[in-house]
Amino acid sequence: MLLAFFRWADHLWVAEYIRDSTWIFALIEVFHLFGLTLLLGSLTVVALRMFGAGLKRQTLAGVASDFLPWTLLGMVVSIASGFLLFASEALKCYASGPFFVKMGLLFAALVFTFTFQRRLTKADQPSGAAKYAAVLSMTLWFGVGLAGRAIAFF
Amino acid sequence: MTLPEICQAIQDSAIGTNIRESTWTFPVIETIHVLGLGISVGILVTLDLRLIGAGMRHISPSQIMKQLKLWYLTGFAAMMISGVFLFWSEAAHAYRSPTFRIKILFLILAGINAAYYEVKYVPISAAWDESGVIPKGAKMVGWVSLICWLGVIGFGRWTAYGMK
Repeated sequence: MLLAFFRWADHLWVAEYIRDSTWIFALIEVFHLFGLTLLLGSLTVVALRMFGAGLKRQTLAGVASDFLPWTLLGMVVSIASGFLLFASEALKCYASGPFFVKMGLLFAALVFTFTFQRRLTKADQPSGAAKYAAVLSMTLWFGVGLAGRAIAFF
Repeated sequence: MTLPEICQAIQDSAIGTNIRESTWTFPVIETIHVLGLGISVGILVTLDLRLIGAGMRHISPSQIMKQLKLWYLTGFAAMMISGVFLFWSEAAHAYRSPTFRIKILFLILAGINAAYYEVKYVPISAAWDESGVIPKGAKMVGWVSLICWLGVIGFGRWTAYGMK
């Protein structure tokens, strides 16, 4: 079942197109980096605020809502470019342990960020739980990055 | 010694060789360098976006800068240190790489741009905080910064391909 999905992705016309090109994969990777830079950057600013650091003079809710558009933009660029990178080497990803770890962490990060963290950042000041949420959030998101790098090395 | 000879010597040094031939050291340093983007350029980019007028209207640019500066500068310190070690391990390759040279050029430009902003706009930031209008020059600094960092990231990634 799972293999069928990876095969389907691998056979997409865009996947073939990227594989046949010498430079398109690299270009998409650069966009992937742009996306993750913006995503991690905006998440870091909010996480800092949850520790009462960084943009201290603004409310937590204010910071979270001001930086949400950038988090979303970074996410969209990362996921879109990520899907293209994946499709172009889907079968290689199927055989990659780190790839599945990355996807697991990504799923956890998305769920956590858009449920618990969302709720906690509606307050003006960070609650006691906020610090733990910030640590978990950063661990998950940077973990996605780490696992992503591991795909290349293993 | 000529510059290429110096770079070859750096690459051939014990530390350079150690990093290059390691199983874990190079990957770890490179991972710090890539993920460090999130806590350096990533934070700075949000300030640049504010400068060019793209959102975050509730916070003035000078507030963003003042309260986040130490954080992103720490991030940049991590980038510099990891970058130096990466260079150390392949100095001669990097020297010969046109994409690496372009990356460094963008990096220098980004630095000059930041210094310019520091000298020209930071001292008067209270004034344009009051008015709520961002001076055109400050907006330009924002755009230049965004372009420079996109260049650094793009040519940096390209350089990594060239090193294979």
